[in-house]
Amino acid sequence: MAGSTIDHLISVTVFLGALMLFISLFNQTIQTAILYQRHRVLATKCSDLLDNMLLNPGIPIDWGRSNVTPTGFGLQDPEFTQYKLSPFSLMRLQSAVGTLVYYNRTEQFYSNITVGFGNFLLVPFNEAINYSLASHLLGINGTYGFQLTITPIITVSIEQVQLKNPLILNVTVTGVGFPLANAHVSYCLLTVSKGDRQYPAYTIEHGSNFTDAKGSIILTFSNVEQEVSYVFIVYARTAGLMGMGYYEHVTYDRSYIIPFIDDFAEGRILIAHSYDVHNMGDTAEVNYNATLVILTEDFTLRQILIENSTGSLNYGQGKPYAYVTIPKNMRNNPGIFIITYRKSEQETGVVMMPWGISSLAFPVVFGDDPSNSEWVATDLRQVIVNGIAYQAKLALWSLEGYQVIG
Amino acid sequence: MMRTIEILLVIIIIISAFIIASFYAILPIPRRVSPINLRRLALTTLQTLDVDYDLSEIVFMAENDTAWGQLQIALSACLPPNVVYNLTVYELQSGSSGELYLPIKSISNAESLGIGSDAASYLVASSNVTFRVIPEKIGEHGGGGTLYILNCSDARGWWITGYTAHTLAEDLYNLLSPYFQTTIMIQNTTQLAQLLDERKITDSPCENVANAVIINTFGEAVPIPTIYCQGYERESEGYEPHYDADAEMTINYTRYCYTLGQKTRQFNWTWVSIAGYPFYYVSNLEAFANETNTYGIYGMQKVYRGGVNAFLQGLNNMQPYQYDNTKITDSVGDVQLSSQVLDLCNYYGIYPSPYQTSTRAIQKSKLNIYPNLTVGLLIFNEKDGCYPGALYNHMNGTRIEGSLLALGLTRTPDIRLTALGLLSYYKPRLYASEYTASNATRLVVLQLGLVGGV
Repeated sequence: MAGSTIDHLISVTVFLGALMLFISLFNQTIQTAILYQRHRVLATKCSDLLDNMLLNPGIPIDWGRSNVTPTGFGLQDPEFTQYKLSPFSLMRLQSAVGTLVYYNRTEQFYSNITVGFGNFLLVPFNEAINYSLASHLLGINGTYGFQLTITPIITVSIEQVQLKNPLILNVTVTGVGFPLANAHVSYCLLTVSKGDRQYPAYTIEHGSNFTDAKGSIILTFSNVEQEVSYVFIVYARTAGLMGMGYYEHVTYDRSYIIPFIDDFAEGRILIAHSYDVHNMGDTAEVNYNATLVILTEDFTLRQILIENSTGSLNYGQGKPYAYVTIPKNMRNNPGIFIITYRKSEQETGVVMMPWGISSLAFPVVFGDDPSNSEWVATDLRQVIVNGIAYQAKLALWSLEGYQVIG
Repeated sequence: MMRTIEILLVIIIIISAFIIASFYAILPIPRRVSPINLRRLALTTLQTLDVDYDLSEIVFMAENDTAWGQLQIALSACLPPNVVYNLTVYELQSGSSGELYLPIKSISNAESLGIGSDAASYLVASSNVTFRVIPEKIGEHGGGGTLYILNCSDARGWWITGYTAHTLAEDLYNLLSPYFQTTIMIQNTTQLAQLLDERKITDSPCENVANAVIINTFGEAVPIPTIYCQGYERESEGYEPHYDADAEMTINYTRYCYTLGQKTRQFNWTWVSIAGYPFYYVSNLEAFANETNTYGIYGMQKVYRGGVNAFLQGLNNMQPYQYDNTKITDSVGDVQLSSQVLDLCNYYGIYPSPYQTSTRAIQKSKLNIYPNLTVGLLIFNEKDGCYPGALYNHMNGTRIEGSLLALGLTRTPDIRLTALGLLSYYKPRLYASEYTASNATRLVVLQLGLVGGV
């Protein structure tokens, strides 16, 4: 009787132990399967969400060209179908990577997509669309986090080979790590000259050519005999892909002009003295001359005259800034806002600001940082922003956690 | 002891079950769990390459053309380095047994597309091919179907700055004549008088005065036949002087607008005002040779604000006619095309700017005195209690008896809005002609695969 009881006890103990072990083993497998399922759902959601952002213009459809807060989030260009995005809607997104700029004269913060010296895009922080609002409008607030990255596919890099007599520039056009041989290159060289009066003047020279087998081309400008400030803008195109690049050289950069977008709907741009913004550099007064150029259908740049395009700026109290307004009939056209400035006859410079993100092929990074997330799904689309080829990448992650009890 | 042996047997069975389950329950590799949507990527790549019809051009080039090399470079340049591709172009051949897809060219950057791939296809047409579309004629299945465009050489326009009524009439003719059974230009006010008497202008059997559409290309002015002017035989239907204190002048021809309203109701016309304040002036170069519109334009007389009120009274058959100079419009600024009209832009291939400026939008509240007037079509979205552009129907029970299309936009007029408004109201269908050209369509299939990683 005792032997039978011991036999029972041992067998039940062993059975329970084995059962626990196997439950644990099966549980591990089931957990992994559940995680895989969730990741799969996340990938599907990522693809859907990316299409949702890229294939609808939002509500109202012209929110990118106005100061209104949208009630529906979407980036499609309202005048087109397919994956064509609005350069203006992209311009109204708060940059996730640029450091905010505070301009104490307007007492406002500005979202910053500046790409190196002289290429500014500073958007009023309060009027730019923030990540939280976009999440709410997309219906994923609290459930998913995302980061949307829009980057140009074509990279046009420009290197100054010789500064003067003649000016020689080397242009290289590449795709995603692949040179674009025989690409059609159309360019525009804007050189700053002293002008008749105190305001700087400029001359614009156009041209076009083709890249060699390595995707490069050497361009020579024999009329540049002395060192001058200039900006060189290039559009490169091959088999439907178009990209752009630019290069600036200034003879004076201790004080310069910084443009801020002041009003999207009115096309009003505030221009300020650099010392007032950064509190560093030179406090010297600079004279400026602003112009707007737009890309035409034959891929050349056309100059648009604007009112009150010249003036002088200095640092100071009160309102030491000026406004320039883009003509009403041109506000819906993306363009490049170019401001030449001059301190003295020899000390000149030039800065640029895109009106519509694609004009200077600025990249956009919008959303939260995915680096601490357990699993991030990504998806890609090729998109067009006013003729410029971009790649849109969405990174999506769950905010609800994946931890499975076990 | 027996129990322990049984338990050991059970454990062996469970272990076997676990091993067998684990053997079959193979979890997918991460790349398959969270894949890039290669099909969408392929489709958007093809769309990007065809954004300026470059792809459509290249796939019809000879196989040894250097453009294929450019296409390969572009493909390699725009796809991520870990994505391999195979682009195949097929020619479509139609035969008695269906369509045959013949591969004619293939370019790739890898021998195989890895363990998993996806593809998107894109149909391109040769630029040598012309597609024909045959529109349904308005009035084809009922009465009407005649479009009259006022192109009177003996009248002048207002609020059509930058154009003349004649250029606008020509543009309208080109835009709208394919959709009507017959389109007739009213070349002078004598012909207009003929029309007002329900007499046909031409011998065409297709011409129907009843149920016609009449477009006034003169903007805020409307041509008036001489016989309706002071001192002529139909004076009582056109001339009726009223001193207007607001205008500080005598207004003579609102009665003519009332007559137009009555005729519109009587013959079930759709009267179209292309821009500005409707019926604000009347124009006749002969009768008003020495009169101006107060802005130095001879051949016109001001009807002022009472013109449109008189027309609406006539349209609504309000008797007797009473002079009413109430201002019924308001300036509402920027306005937007209604979603219904916006959707039809693509269908009819007419693309005016969806945003316009309206300075003569008709106030809803001012239409309350016309109980039988309903809005048949909103061309622009209602704004601030006003209709910047709409088509109004006068209803007799459920039957429409006369309509007014009024676009209260500022100058300069965009004639495409008028055309789009009419087409959106009548909605004639478009029939694509059968496409029979050979070797004119090719199918491009882009297959993408992922390499590297897990």
